Amino acid sequence: MPAKQGGKWVGKGLKRKEDLRLLTGRGSFMDDIRLPNMKYAAILRSPYPHAWIRGMDISQALKVSGVRGVLTGDDVAAMSQPFPVGVPIPPKYYSSAVDKVRYVGEPVAVVVADSRYIAEDALDMIEVEYEPLPVVMDIEEAAEPDAPILHDNIGSNIYSHRFFQYGDMQKAYKEADLVVKGKFLFPKYGSTPIETYGVIASYNPFNAEFVIYNNYQGPFVNHSLVAIALGIPENKMRWIVPTDIGGGFGTKTGLYPYIALIALAAKKTGLTVKWIEDRREHLLASATGTDRVTYMEAAVKKDGTILGLKDKAMDNTGGYIRPPEPGCAYRSTGNHTGAYQIRNLDREVMVVGTNKCLTAPNRGYTCQELYFSVERLVDMVAAELKMDPAEIRFKNFIQADQFPYTTTTGGVYDAGDYPKAFQMALDKIDYKKIRKEQQQARKEGRYIGIGLATVVDPSVTNIAYVSLALTPDQRAKGHPKSGSGESVIVKLDPLGKAHVIACTNPQGQGHETVISQIVADELGIHPDDVTVSDVVDTHDRVYTITTGSYSSRFASVGVNAVVAATRKVKEKMKKIAAHLLETNPEDIETKEGKFYVKGSPDKSILARHIAGTAHWNQSALPEGMDVGLYASSLLSMPTSQPPDQLDRVDSSNTYGFIAEAIVVEVDPETGQVQFLKWASVHDAGTILNPLLLEGQVMGSIAHAIGGTLYEEWAYDENGQCLTASFQDYLVPTAMEVPMVDIGHVETPSPLTALGSKGAGESSTMSVPVAIANAIADALAPLGVAINELPLSPNKIWHLIQEANKQK
Amino acid sequence: MKLQGTYKFKASQEKVWEVLTNPRHLEKAIPGCEKLEEIEPGKYDATLKIGIAGIKGTYKGMAEVADPQPPHKYRLIVEGGGSPGFVKGEALIELSHQNQSTTVSCQGEGQVGGLIAGVGQRLISGIAKMMLGQFFKQIGKELKAL
Repeated sequence: MPAKQGGKWVGKGLKRKEDLRLLTGRGSFMDDIRLPNMKYAAILRSPYPHAWIRGMDISQALKVSGVRGVLTGDDVAAMSQPFPVGVPIPPKYYSSAVDKVRYVGEPVAVVVADSRYIAEDALDMIEVEYEPLPVVMDIEEAAEPDAPILHDNIGSNIYSHRFFQYGDMQKAYKEADLVVKGKFLFPKYGSTPIETYGVIASYNPFNAEFVIYNNYQGPFVNHSLVAIALGIPENKMRWIVPTDIGGGFGTKTGLYPYIALIALAAKKTGLTVKWIEDRREHLLASATGTDRVTYMEAAVKKDGTILGLKDKAMDNTGGYIRPPEPGCAYRSTGNHTGAYQIRNLDREVMVVGTNKCLTAPNRGYTCQELYFSVERLVDMVAAELKMDPAEIRFKNFIQADQFPYTTTTGGVYDAGDYPKAFQMALDKIDYKKIRKEQQQARKEGRYIGIGLATVVDPSVTNIAYVSLALTPDQRAKGHPKSGSGESVIVKLDPLGKAHVIACTNPQGQGHETVISQIVADELGIHPDDVTVSDVVDTHDRVYTITTGSYSSRFASVGVNAVVAATRKVKEKMKKIAAHLLETNPEDIETKEGKFYVKGSPDKSILARHIAGTAHWNQSALPEGMDVGLYASSLLSMPTSQPPDQLDRVDSSNTYGFIAEAIVVEVDPETGQVQFLKWASVHDAGTILNPLLLEGQVMGSIAHAIGGTLYEEWAYDENGQCLTASFQDYLVPTAMEVPMVDIGHVETPSPLTALGSKGAGESSTMSVPVAIANAIADALAPLGVAINELPLSPNKIWHLIQEANKQK
Repeated sequence: MKLQGTYKFKASQEKVWEVLTNPRHLEKAIPGCEKLEEIEPGKYDATLKIGIAGIKGTYKGMAEVADPQPPHKYRLIVEGGGSPGFVKGEALIELSHQNQSTTVSCQGEGQVGGLIAGVGQRLISGIAKMMLGQFFKQIGKELKAL
């Protein structure tokens, strides 16, 4: 285990370098980019959730003055291929509908015009003849044999279906004293970043190359996918991402079909075409996380020991399935049993399609769905056994001396001290005292509840998990997948100032600041002497298909790459210093920008003189050494391996921990939930910058409050989306987010250079179930069962009424 | 979305029937109707300009008087689409006469899709009810003008 980095800058709450430009309105986002002769696109979208397109007349739209061209589904089918996706029978998913629409808002045509106004007016002139078809909106109904079928080539609405067995669940049942069961419903929601999707595409016919500006979250696997869809090699498609992205949260990974669509519009019209998604488009047809139905049961002993879990989870990727789905069903494999020593697990997973908009990874990528079932069930077991919900968690925790801990599903938890972090959360709310107060309050007719959740926070996904959609035999026929790569180049100018070129493509996380802190510590310079260019340009960055910002990966693999490249530069500097000081490189030590001979601090050379020599005077360099001063690293986590024959996979490479302890009061007359106390304790390994971590945790809590109490991408039974504006799609504002007592435990990760790991998504996974547990606890005297979200006042009020009726 | 209402007119059942099935009167009575053209007996091409939940738009479609049993009842089928989405509806219109006045009862179901559903569904049944009221108020005026 590496020692905790006691650097001068790492660990300090340095203010963000990014903030000056962002807070003064000088950020550079997609819509700030204006290219010469740029034209504007508007997208015609289906008002039907399921219908054949029997005809389309674009002639009137083409007559509108200022219209430069119209791209139709026929063009898309002729000019591109369906996106590949890792399921046994892929649906034909193009960047627009071709002959059939499968959700409201699906693109059916693109108008390119001199202005967005003209383009939108021309959309009205396109006549589309639809033949409506029956819809399927419910996850479980979609899997029924008599459901309306979305894709004739698949023959059912089941995109992916697998069974898994880990350990020996039959033995667990035999040894168990009781089995506790639940059914849990998790809604469809999306994070609605402030900046919507944006694309500017142009096509150069002379070198057959696309240049595409976009606000995607990395090259990630999707650069490859778009190239495949466009039928071109990847080196013929340049993606450039602006310096600033206004929020990602996984939602922006759903951008890539629009990259292909606007690229086709650019190619067809021969023009540079810009499209900025408006909010209504975003709320109809961007991307959400999957909604999920889970049946889960736990085999337990009387003393609270959880021997095993059996579950069936059904996910819904909407009208199509597209990469990285069906990852929704498999991404949390390694941490499926959470923070507990549960060795036996039977899983059935099914991914189905309905006439809803499509999905992408969002906010913890299905860990919130998973933990909503696991942690509700743990509370239900405790209630059944009349145990304290804190006690049952302590009873089942993986202990501090068991790390690295390999879960029954193949996850390798790198480090942690779960009892310590959980105890800190309990202490912060004065758990024992609040339990007594709760009893008193009940006597007074007040409904106070305490909600706990203790979850493992995975960061850095290993791309291997997507291949779990195939059986071991099917996988053996193809090529194995694994990895979680990140790249960094560090160069020093002749004055010794550093320039870091990264490809982590942040969306507000503050990577510029943290990279500066790390490089400053490594080289003994000031963070202000470090300039960071952390944007994607696929023509001048190096990367792998896993590179980008998603799955909280920067603090783990991103930092590893920064440190590795910087240390390579430093090694070269030591060689130059040793040569100049006439000693061996291993005898060179450094301190605050000085390189000196061990034991003789007066025999020294300044870092900037070394840099100057490397650039200005090659004759002074050791023989055979390259001139200049730079190094690169393109590395992955060594633990990223493909799944084994038993379907075990380390689906993420570092694993943090979160303990939530939330006290609520529910007003039974109105269903209103009020937060009385809230402690949120995190272990993300070594803290790189406490200010940024605080901000990220608070942000994840705000998102989670939305996901728990307000947000739902709602549809009526006819397949119409009901929440296409912020009037109906509610998100929390500052007024709805309480002060939270945030605490930290720092267990350094042995797998990362500085011991740090990801924390960005964190509470989005633990808060929904913690609040649900708190409300369930508050309303326990009324016999109300809480097994679904969002817990709006309306829903809580109805649950109370129903419970009253049954009495 | 359910639509329901009963409306009373001081006129004979035959007269009410005549007004309720005559495109000249309907064109005036249907809120936002810009054009109503009979393309075959009982079938009309319609153009409507309506604003719902802040979304104004032009809807083109057709209206049909189906299974007419003069002067007792018919089914009214309306379908239209435009940039804000589509509307579809079917209603059973029944007439009855009592104490020198004719009662028209309307029982139907409507569906909206696209943008108007996404941003205005909460408001639509209220608006539909209001429009139904406007329609029959104008029908009353048309009857008086006869």
